[in-house]
Amino acid sequence: MAVKPKVAFFDFAGCEGDQLQVANLEERLLDILAHIEVVSFREIKTEHSDDYDIAFVEGSITRPEDEKRLKEIRENAGILVALGACATIGGINCLKNFINESEYRSTVYGSSARWYSTYASRPLSAVVPVDMDIHGCPIDKNEFATAVKELLLGKIYTPPDYPVCAECKMAGNICRYEQGQLCLGIVTRAGCKACCVTEGSFCWGCRGMAPEANLDAAARIMEDHGFTRLNAQDRLRLYFGCTDRAFNPG
Amino acid sequence: MVAYIVYLQQIPELLHKWSSSYDVYVPTRVEEHFYEFRPWQEKTHIAWDYDLAYSPLKVFFMPPREDLIHFDLHNYTASPVIKKTRQLLFGVHPYDIKAINQLDQLMGMDGVDVNYQNLRDNTVIFGLEPARVAETAFWAGVDAARVDFGFDLFWTRISPGAFLVRVGSAQGEEMLKMGSSITSATAAEKEAARRIHLRAAARADKQGLGFTWTQVPEFMNKFYSRKLYWREKAKTCLSCGSCNLVCPTCYCFDIQDETDDHLKQGKRYRQWDGCMLEGFSRIAGGLNFRPNPWERYRHRYMRKGKYIFDRIGELGCVGCGRCVKACTAKIANPKVVFSEIREAIKNEA
Ligand code: SF4
Ligand code: SF4
Ligand code: SF4
Ligand code: SF4
Ligand code: SF4
Repeated sequence: MAVKPKVAFFDFAGCEGDQLQVANLEERLLDILAHIEVVSFREIKTEHSDDYDIAFVEGSITRPEDEKRLKEIRENAGILVALGACATIGGINCLKNFINESEYRSTVYGSSARWYSTYASRPLSAVVPVDMDIHGCPIDKNEFATAVKELLLGKIYTPPDYPVCAECKMAGNICRYEQGQLCLGIVTRAGCKACCVTEGSFCWGCRGMAPEANLDAAARIMEDHGFTRLNAQDRLRLYFGCTDRAFNPG
Repeated sequence: MVAYIVYLQQIPELLHKWSSSYDVYVPTRVEEHFYEFRPWQEKTHIAWDYDLAYSPLKVFFMPPREDLIHFDLHNYTASPVIKKTRQLLFGVHPYDIKAINQLDQLMGMDGVDVNYQNLRDNTVIFGLEPARVAETAFWAGVDAARVDFGFDLFWTRISPGAFLVRVGSAQGEEMLKMGSSITSATAAEKEAARRIHLRAAARADKQGLGFTWTQVPEFMNKFYSRKLYWREKAKTCLSCGSCNLVCPTCYCFDIQDETDDHLKQGKRYRQWDGCMLEGFSRIAGGLNFRPNPWERYRHRYMRKGKYIFDRIGELGCVGCGRCVKACTAKIANPKVVFSEIREAIKNEA
C-alpha cells in the first residue's frame, strides 16, 4: 500500500464530543487506522506532531487568537476537515452572539472577565477555507467513517443537501407536525438519517441549514401549526445562530 | 367469480399456517389515528377498519435503501444481490393495489428491474375492502376504488364475524384452503359483499375529484406553461421530497457506492430519491434541469397528471392522500391542483 496519510485532530471551542464519537468507533477505528497514521489526537494519544496531511478540526472560533492557530493548521494541512457543528456552522456557541458582550463575559468569567479575550462565535469557514464538512452535534460516527474512507479513495465526501424530512420519510417516522410538535427537520441538512426523530425526539437543527432551505416557508409552516415567532426563534437560534437569515426569521 | 366465506375466528389458524412460509404483514394501529403494516405475531391486533397505512407499501418491493451489487476492490469482481423474501401483505386497500399494479408495469418497462421483480414475485397480496376513507384521500375520483387484478385474494367484511373472500389467483385459493372447513360463498353472500363495496364506494365518492379524471392529462398539458400559477403554488415549497417519498407510485432512486473499513470490499446500493429534491436533476458540471422549486413542483404534477398517463393510460396518482398529509407546507395536494387547473381553464373558455 502507498504511504499512509498523516492525520491530526485539533479542537477549538467545543466539548470534544465529536472526537469522542471518533474514539467511539472502537474496533472499526482500528481497521481504519490501518490506512492512516494519526500523529496527533488528544482523545487517544499524548504525542503531537506538526507534520500532517489531513487535519480534523473541532470547535468554533471564539477568540481573535484562535484565528492565528487555525491559519497555521490550514498552512500545514493539505486537507482541512471541519468536524462537528461548532466547526461547520458555529454551533451552539453562537447562542452567545445573541447576548450582549459584557453580559456573556461576566456570566462566563465573572470578575476576571477582563483577563480573557472573546468575540462572536463563528465557524472555521469564516476564517480559513474548509475542504470538507462533517456535520452534526455530535457527528455521526458512521458518517465520519464514510467520509474518511472517501478521502482515502481520493474523493471528498459530500453530505446530503436536502432537508432531514427526506430521511425521516425513509425511516418511516410519523411527522412531528402531525403530532402537534415543532421540528426543524424541514430546513435542516440531512445526513443523520433523522436519528433524533427516530429516537422519539424532533430535529433540533444540529446539522445546520440545508443549502436550499426555504426559511420563509418554514416560518409560515410553524405559524400555521400554532407556534409563535418566539417558539420558532428560540429553536432556530440553538444551531442556526451563525446564519444571517436566522437572525430575523420570516 | 370464485368466493369463500371465512369467519373471524378461523383467521388466527390461517395466519399461523401462512406465517410458517411467509413474512406476514398486517395493518395495525401504531398510535391514535396512525396505521402501519407491521409483522404479524400471535398478539397482533389487526386494524380491519384502518383508513390509510402511513407509509407507502412500496417499502416491501423497493425498500428505502437496498443493496444491488457487492464488489471487491482488489480483484475487480462483482456479484448481484437479489432478495427473494417471501412475504404476504394481508389487508391491502384497492388504491394501494392499483399503485402496485402501476409499479409492476413501470418497473418492467425498458428492461426489468430485477431487484423489484424478485421481491414482487415472492409477495402474496390479500386485498381488503376499505371500511373507512382517510380524510385526505380521493381515490374514488381517480378510478382506484376497485381493482380487478393485482391480488391473490380479496377480503370483504360482510358481517362483524365473517368475510367474503374473492379468489384472484390459484396461489391465493390454495393458501385459503389451508384452513379447515372453509366453505364456498352463496349467491346471497356475494350480493352482500357487492352491496358493501357499493356503500364504501358511495362514501368515498363524496371525496372524489368532482369531475372525471380522464380530463386531467389535457388540462395539465394546457397549464404547463402557466409559470405564474406554478410559482405561486410552490412559494412555500421546502424542497423536502416528502411528497415523493410517501407516494406509492413514485419509484425514483439514487445509486451510491460504499466500501468496508478495510477498503477491500464494497457494495453498491440504491436509496429513494425524488424529483422535488434539488439535487435530483443536477448533473455533472453542476448544471440543473430544474433549479427552481416551482419547476420541480410543476414536474411532479406533470408526472402525476400527464406523463404517467402517456405511458400507461392511468393517472400516476391513486388518490391515497399520503402526500397531502406528509407535506408540512400543505401544498402537495393533487386533488386541489387538478381542480384549480380545471376551474381556471373552464373560466377561460
Ligand atoms: S418529523 Fe421533522 S424531520 Fe420528520 S418529516 Fe416531520 S418535519 Fe420533517
Ligand atoms: S435529526 Fe436534526 S438534531 Fe438530530 S442529528 Fe439530525 S440534524 Fe441533528
Ligand atoms: S400523488 Fe399523493 S395522493 Fe396521489 S398516489 Fe401519490 S401520495 Fe397518493
Ligand atoms: S413524480 Fe418524481 S419522484 Fe415520483 S416517480 Fe415521477 S419523477 Fe420520480
Ligand atoms: S410540495 Fe410539500 S412535501 Fe413536496 S417538497 Fe414541497 S414542501 Fe416538501
